[in-house]
Amino acid sequence: MGLNLEFMLSIIPELLSAMVITLQISILAVLLGIMGGLVVGSFRVIGPKWLKMLIQLLVDYIRGTPQIVHILIIYFALPRIGIILNAYWTGVVALTIIATGYEVEIVRTAIESIDKGQIEAGLAIGLLKRQILIFVLLPQAIRRIIPPLTNELTNIVKASAFLSVIAVNELTKISNKIIYETFYFFEVLILTALIYTVIITLLGMLSNFIEKRMFSTNSEANS
Amino acid sequence: MDISFMIEIVPRLLRATWVTLQVSAISLMIGLVFGIVLGVLRVYGNRFIVWCTKGFVIVARGTPAAIQIYAAFFLLPRLGIRLPLFAVGVVALTFNTSGYQVEIVRAALESIDKGQIEAGLAIGLTRWKTMLYITLPQAVKRMMGPMTNEFANLIKASSALMLISLYELTKSGHAIIAATFKYAEVLVLVALFYFVLVQSLCKLSAYLENNVFNFGKTADPRNEFLN
Repeated sequence: MGLNLEFMLSIIPELLSAMVITLQISILAVLLGIMGGLVVGSFRVIGPKWLKMLIQLLVDYIRGTPQIVHILIIYFALPRIGIILNAYWTGVVALTIIATGYEVEIVRTAIESIDKGQIEAGLAIGLLKRQILIFVLLPQAIRRIIPPLTNELTNIVKASAFLSVIAVNELTKISNKIIYETFYFFEVLILTALIYTVIITLLGMLSNFIEKRMFSTNSEANS
Repeated sequence: MDISFMIEIVPRLLRATWVTLQVSAISLMIGLVFGIVLGVLRVYGNRFIVWCTKGFVIVARGTPAAIQIYAAFFLLPRLGIRLPLFAVGVVALTFNTSGYQVEIVRAALESIDKGQIEAGLAIGLTRWKTMLYITLPQAVKRMMGPMTNEFANLIKASSALMLISLYELTKSGHAIIAATFKYAEVLVLVALFYFVLVQSLCKLSAYLENNVFNFGKTADPRNEFLN
């Protein structure tokens, strides 16, 4: 079973440009998701009880249903409520919602991992709950949010493969298109899998690197 | 919302849920065998074997489930292996879950106190016997919680089998949508079914960790603070 190397070389540019779209969508979704995650995660920690329960239910829902189902729901539901976007932005919205669900938990654990003495100190000098959150807890929590955030990016890159279902021209969709045009599935799938593996391994290394840097330069955050 | 239509399609979706559960459970079980064997080799093997298992984990965890499913679907026939669609799904998901389970087994094995191994060696057991009779039984206990989580992940990953038209929950829902265009009703039900499945598994996982296998204090995610 020989591989057609010439063909593999010829499709690399097309796959790489699709990879750029995959990365764009994933990075956008994670960045938008972190804004949602910070706001919702803060309310998850200091909000009233009913709000905490509601947020927890939403988070459980987002984390408990498959990404493909979310993508289908967003794809069908957005036009129904009058928001008509192209496939690319539908994909961004879907992945943002998925990312937010996970990032709320990242933010919550980061905030809750801050030493309780910090809160007590804040209360002792007469700060309000929300002032403690904004001026004391969040600045310290952000450091702890960044390493898991890179992990979340790898998850979102993998989730973005499902956007092929709604015809976003990302890596999986393009590789599928090439397969159906040429039937060189072996060559195309090997390259696609290789590109994904490289992206995700690099992101994993980045995450390790950031984690080491963050925790060695800020040893006081570790106490 | 067309309630009577929703009630009408429930039996069909339930049958599809059964397929989802079957394909995930079978993959989990086969994956468990691979996970334990490869995980043990990953910890106790020589350098070459460790390197190979690491490579396997990187590929299995570093490629999206969608790509693995396409690969099983297109490549198995080319290698001369013709399987029914259900078995292709099992092969793809087994590959996917094995990668994660190797890491679960490795983490569990490495979390066992070194003193246990030293004690085993001190009373004259060989390295393999120490692993088999002392570390592995203790590690199995620690693996149960993460394995239930992995089952929940697998149920979610199995939704990607719709890409190769295996009639599990998502594909059945999609087929009903294509036939009736009642997407809101169908998708609400599909999401609800997955939600209930995954939530009950998460509850089971927390229960196993806290009550059956007793890992110290309850790890309640809803613990309060700032009150």
